[in-house]
Amino acid sequence: MSLVLENISAYFGDKRIFEKLSLTIEPGEIITVMGASGSGKTTLLSAVAGDMPNPLYSVGKVILNGRDVSIMRPELRRIGRLFQDDLLFPHLTVGENLLFGVERGLKAERMAMMKTALQRLELEGFEDRPPHTLSGGQRSRVALMRALLAKPDAMLLDEPFSKLDHELRATIRDYTYTHLRERKIPTLLVTHDFEDVPKGGRVIHV
Amino acid sequence: MIATIKKTAMSAPLVLLFVIPLIASLAFALSGTLDAKNWQSLFAHPQLWPALELSIFTGLTSVAVSLLLALFLIAGLYHSPWWPRLSAQVGAMLAVPHVAMAIGLSFLIMPSGILARILAVLTSWTTPPHWITNHDPYGLSLIAALVLKETPFLMWALISILNREDVSHSFFGQRAVGLSLGHGQTSIWLRIYLPQLLPKLVWPLLAVFVYAATVVDMAIVIGPTQPPTLAVVVWADINDAQVLNNARGAVGAWFLTLVIALTAVFFWTTIKLILSKREWLTWPPASKDLLRPSGTFSKAKIFTLGFFYIVIAITQVILSLAPLWPFPKLWPDTLNLIAWARVWDNPSALITSLAVGFSTTVTALLLVVGWMETQPPSRDRFVTVLSATALGVPALLLALGQYRAFLQLGLTGTAFGLFLAHLIPVTAYMFLVLVGPYRSFDPRWWASASGLLTSLPRFFWTIKLPLLKAPVLAASAIGFAVSFGQYVPAQLITAGRYSTLPMEAVTLTSGTNRPLTAAFTLMLMAPPLLAFIAAAFLSKSRWSSK
Repeated sequence: MSLVLENISAYFGDKRIFEKLSLTIEPGEIITVMGASGSGKTTLLSAVAGDMPNPLYSVGKVILNGRDVSIMRPELRRIGRLFQDDLLFPHLTVGENLLFGVERGLKAERMAMMKTALQRLELEGFEDRPPHTLSGGQRSRVALMRALLAKPDAMLLDEPFSKLDHELRATIRDYTYTHLRERKIPTLLVTHDFEDVPKGGRVIHV
Repeated sequence: MIATIKKTAMSAPLVLLFVIPLIASLAFALSGTLDAKNWQSLFAHPQLWPALELSIFTGLTSVAVSLLLALFLIAGLYHSPWWPRLSAQVGAMLAVPHVAMAIGLSFLIMPSGILARILAVLTSWTTPPHWITNHDPYGLSLIAALVLKETPFLMWALISILNREDVSHSFFGQRAVGLSLGHGQTSIWLRIYLPQLLPKLVWPLLAVFVYAATVVDMAIVIGPTQPPTLAVVVWADINDAQVLNNARGAVGAWFLTLVIALTAVFFWTTIKLILSKREWLTWPPASKDLLRPSGTFSKAKIFTLGFFYIVIAITQVILSLAPLWPFPKLWPDTLNLIAWARVWDNPSALITSLAVGFSTTVTALLLVVGWMETQPPSRDRFVTVLSATALGVPALLLALGQYRAFLQLGLTGTAFGLFLAHLIPVTAYMFLVLVGPYRSFDPRWWASASGLLTSLPRFFWTIKLPLLKAPVLAASAIGFAVSFGQYVPAQLITAGRYSTLPMEAVTLTSGTNRPLTAAFTLMLMAPPLLAFIAAAFLSKSRWSSK
């Protein structure tokens, strides 16, 4: 699995945000994009995910495992995403949140995947809890696991650790990177904190 | 201590002019309800059950259709570049009084109406078709008229929820998450937005249902006749010359209210039960996104909805100028100003409506702003509940109690009585519209301004009011439109001494003078619309011209 960006440019109306960005992310590799705020880091992630909010738009190719996904609707691209906020759906329980992205299959199989995920999260018994009763760290982990259960072919991280307090940050970061590498998911990380850069990882400045 | 008493005393205007008359009206509505004789004569009424069926049917159907239409329209346009413009268009539709829309629609669909004339071109009819469109026995044309008005109202309710900063921020993020988990637009609407929106829509939906199931003026104009809806049956009783029938009408109004309340509770419980089967919320992403909300489709529909309003307005203009307009012709033989000359000769209804509209809007604004400036937010709840009650209780019931209370005080048939009867719904609406924006006014403005300016009044006029300009103007336009739409309370309170535009318009629809009816309908539509346009124009920010 690899994620290839070919000559991606983004515009706001006729104003250019960045131009002709090309990049290959190998399976399990985490590439960090850094830049001042307003430099278009988040815009780059939106361009890859394919949900640029109007009047932003982008051109260029996004190739995932050899197929050109840039002509596809965002929900068909199989690209997972994590944000600054955990964005767990407030009207669903923890279990329902995890199930939300699990693909088609027998009900028993889907439920089993969800239960296994809860075990790995060490959150057994939290299935029917509403998300707001969880701690910040637990919520971040559930958000990560929810994204992974959808079996994404690539992952986009939009400063997902920036709202966590200092001690939690390192733990959640290691937890996230371990899971992503284990599944060989090519990952694009946006941050303004050098500590987030994985050891020996490539860094790109925009 | 003295400061607290002083502050509390500042609530007097709103209490005297709104709270007390409202509570008195509700209390007086109760009298005579415990007399078994009245109930016996109500249940002996031959039209009671069929009329009740019609009321429930028209009420439920119009709410269901309006909600579906509103959701489809909103789903297609949310997060689209059209979104900011949408609320202005919806507001304009909201401003047109209900009864004016009913009259306009009836002119469109009646056997000799515009629709039949257009069809006549294709079918070469020479006489009007034998349609039973207006006053059809199932109330379908009443439902159509209600849908034309309630869809924009529910859209407005949805827009104001979706435009709240916290909601739009969290929905924006949740949408991105939904997409990244493989769910398409439809799925995101059904499984993420809707379950969070529906609980917030309870009150608007209830208001729409109560209104639709108990409306009097629209049902007289376009609703079924043999039997009519229960609201019309009750209304006839209340206006009857016989005291016994008046008493039957009063318990009839209560009966209607109770049945409506039970129906609403029943349906809400059913919906909640269906929603509590939560499995569908986590169904896997569909391989194909059926029923995808489409911006183009929604734009076409909102255009159609707006088109109805425009066609109805234009038809009224032509009709008001056309004394003779034989059937299959698409354009009248002659145009003249006879109808308008009659209005010009006797403009009392227009003047009364304008005077009541302006005076109640200004008074209500002073009452509401006065309350917000002098009372602590903890007291808002009481007024909010009262306002919601004033708008949630069927107008029929409230107006009846009001009539009885005003009769005791010698206020019926007086200008002040007329003013007060309009002031109650206007204040209720304006309070509900303003309480949110007014109370969420950022206190840091005062903190940062108090160092620069010296006095509280100066802060109010130079900072607070300009920043709250848009909601204040919008609330005023709504208040004015609400005042123009009052038929039931006006008819009861004036006791024949005054006449307002909705009263005249409803009376005219039972006659045959179409040009005059059209002229009155136009006068009913135009001022609220102009008030709305003025509010939209004036609330433009200083910097939005670029």
